[in-house]
Amino acid sequence: MTTRRAVGTLILLGALIAGAWFLLSGSRAPTPRHAGQTPVTALVGTMRSDPPTFNRFVSSTFQTHLVSLLTQARLVRINPVKQELEPWLADRWTRSDDGLRYRLHLREGVTFSDGHPFTADDVVFSFRAALDAATKSPLAHGLRVDKTPLSVAAASASEVDVVFPGPSGPGLRLLDAIPIYPKHLLQAALDSGSFRDAWGTTTPPAQMAGLGPFVLESYQPGQRLVFVRNPHYWRTDESGQPLPRLDRLTLEVVPSQDAELLRLRAGQVDMIQGEVRPEDYQPVKADADLGRLKLTDVGTALDTYWLWLNLAPASHDQRSWLRTDAFRHAISRAVDRQQFIKTVYLGAAVPGWGPVSPANKNWYDTAVEVPAYDLAQARSLLAGLGLRDRNGDGLLDDDKGQTVRFNVLVARGLTAGEKGVAVLKESLAAIGVVVDVSTVDLAALQTRFGTGDYDAIYNRFEATDTDPAGNMDLWLSSGGFHVWNPGQSKPATDWERQIDELMTRQASTLDITERRRLFSQAQQLLAAHEPLIVFAFPRVFVAVGARLGSIVPAVQRPQLLWSPDTLSVSAAH
Amino acid sequence: MRRYLARRLLWALIMMWVVASLAFLLGRLAGSDIIAQRLGIGADPALVEAERHSRGLDRPWTVQYFSWLAGLARFDFGTSAYYGRPVGDLVVTATRNTALIATLAFALAVLVGLPLGLVTGSRGGVFSAAIRTISLLLISAPPLITSLLLVWLSALSGVSPIGGMTSSTAATTGAGFALDLLAHLPLPVLALAMPFAATLERVQSEALARALKDPAVSAARARGVSRRALVWRHAWRLGAGPVVAVCGLMAGTLLSGSFAVELVTAWPGLGQLTANAMFGRDIYLSAGCALAATFLLSLGVVTADVISALIDPRVLNVDPESARTAA
Repeated sequence: MTTRRAVGTLILLGALIAGAWFLLSGSRAPTPRHAGQTPVTALVGTMRSDPPTFNRFVSSTFQTHLVSLLTQARLVRINPVKQELEPWLADRWTRSDDGLRYRLHLREGVTFSDGHPFTADDVVFSFRAALDAATKSPLAHGLRVDKTPLSVAAASASEVDVVFPGPSGPGLRLLDAIPIYPKHLLQAALDSGSFRDAWGTTTPPAQMAGLGPFVLESYQPGQRLVFVRNPHYWRTDESGQPLPRLDRLTLEVVPSQDAELLRLRAGQVDMIQGEVRPEDYQPVKADADLGRLKLTDVGTALDTYWLWLNLAPASHDQRSWLRTDAFRHAISRAVDRQQFIKTVYLGAAVPGWGPVSPANKNWYDTAVEVPAYDLAQARSLLAGLGLRDRNGDGLLDDDKGQTVRFNVLVARGLTAGEKGVAVLKESLAAIGVVVDVSTVDLAALQTRFGTGDYDAIYNRFEATDTDPAGNMDLWLSSGGFHVWNPGQSKPATDWERQIDELMTRQASTLDITERRRLFSQAQQLLAAHEPLIVFAFPRVFVAVGARLGSIVPAVQRPQLLWSPDTLSVSAAH
Repeated sequence: MRRYLARRLLWALIMMWVVASLAFLLGRLAGSDIIAQRLGIGADPALVEAERHSRGLDRPWTVQYFSWLAGLARFDFGTSAYYGRPVGDLVVTATRNTALIATLAFALAVLVGLPLGLVTGSRGGVFSAAIRTISLLLISAPPLITSLLLVWLSALSGVSPIGGMTSSTAATTGAGFALDLLAHLPLPVLALAMPFAATLERVQSEALARALKDPAVSAARARGVSRRALVWRHAWRLGAGPVVAVCGLMAGTLLSGSFAVELVTAWPGLGQLTANAMFGRDIYLSAGCALAATFLLSLGVVTADVISALIDPRVLNVDPESARTAA
């Protein structure tokens, strides 16, 4: 064989491979609309990683929560779009005059996906599972009022009594977190103390059942979860048609956000896990203009990045100025929030001052003003702390002659976080303060927070509840999520003591107007001391495939799958 | 030969133990674990401790390490906290998936790289210069860029699925499954094969050019042996040693999984599993992946050493590491 012939053979081989690829790609079935043999009412979405378990009672991960939303149901539901409580498995309820006792009436004729009837016993069982000490459920914390758990008892087969140990402002909203599990399948596990291990990811789907719109058909680790419609699902739409509208829903595991977006743009998936990143907006918008995607502006986010300084007493740290109100106020005023929004969010955000988003219409205090950009005031505040340029190098020094500098931790791979901290660094440089940025992975950031080994952290947390009583861990000085100085045995400052009192009162007050008044006062106190510095709340854009029917996206994750039974394929497809 | 093989296998076993132990211990001593990551900031400390206790993460690292080693002796690799499944099952499945694309990529790289290397090594001209330039470009481009480029091209043209191993709507068995799987292969296989084909082309080209200057080849040419016979019968064999050594390393590297390619193309192989284990601080899974990857890497290297020894028995008297370094 001559070399020329060998090369010719290779080219021919290459052509044959390319031809075969082309033919195969023509015959493949990437999505149901090309397939023909699959149901037309099927959609494909993505999730970034695998669920560690299917048991919602033992895992607070987003992935397990998502599986629970698809396969289980709750007594009541907080509608994340309206931010209101809705009847769900309980279709109505009454409340005692003292507000402590609720009687919930369960829907008639509801059955689990395996055909077993749903009764009050399943409700009692589920609350028992959540509160059982052996379960060690992360959900148990939310079922307590002043550390005392609420009690749940069956009044009849279709009625349940829920008794609160004390007045509870959020009331039945607390029940939104608890899925109702089938007693007939799980009682043995709970009785034997093995409930924590029940419904792991190796459990065959046929051994699980739920009251949600879908049942899990198969799970391939690292690849996908396939859900099919629950034939016994109990909801119907406005016209009386049975829900869910989809026959099948697949969640592909796509670890890379770039790959996820590419798949959406290529039409190989119909929806992705999160919102559109600012840097992805333009290409997605171009696709939307061409009719390939639907792009929805859902509104202002309920959560955002917070900057907080470590205010826990640290004897080894001589920089006392780092823990002062004036230093935080100076940081807040040295950042031009409008410029911050342009740089980090490409204009798609609104300014903010603290943890409560302007999008939280029921609770946001409009009287609190966003700190104005004022470099002169920032410099004056720092001068008041004795921080000035003592050696003429353009940087501030403290009374010991040390340059005023601190370190900020930010999680790697989140562009809005990395950009935000870059703007912060540049802004503070203008007033002579040096910011050292450490980009670390999330696990390292969490560990440094846990050990208190940090100066400042810039991080984003997902909003869990719009009701402030659902975020007591943040507001109370004893809370683990009181990030700037968590788990205090007694309030370290007077303003934290006042906030503790206000928050405790509002959480145990039934009158909504009074609750709002108390929470406004708590917000004003927080704004006056700025333990959390917030620059902006981004707008949330959701992109979906063009073949999705009408959608009602929420600003919180999961933006679409919070209401999986109403998702549909557009009639045009 | 037997002694040589035994020495290589012992070296492979030691490598596997060292790498897996390092993965385990570094993960254990990293200062954060999967529980901290899963429960996040502000988690109830009692809950964090309970979770750690239930997974044995609160035991001293020595106890944990020797318990893991004892488990290995029973082929019990522990349970992955990230997936909630036995590590052994996860690693076997991921290795099988990686082996599929690695084998095809290896075959493609050899089929394309070696003949092109023979062409560029034996003659000059525009064609050879073009091949050489393309090879250098492919070698310089990180696999992440190559795979992203391929995914982008695929998304643009729509001729191939741009991720995953199968389509969610395809059949799970039979011809439908095979066809669907086949349609998903080109992207990861090409992304893996291209830089390796380029490397092989370069190595083969250099080896051949050197062999053509060997006195033995000059003597054969003086005796009137045709150019074709010189290249294909004499010089090729003379230069085969380094090529086989590189092939061995390549095979091992391909089999042990590629983070970048598997992450970008969402291929559920060993590379993606290892990345998830590392980012998720899942020490048992990290150690299991490291063990599998080192096993496959060693398998490739030992196989290449044996083939080298069969082609050129002089290798048996030379330290394989220095031979590989020379290659």
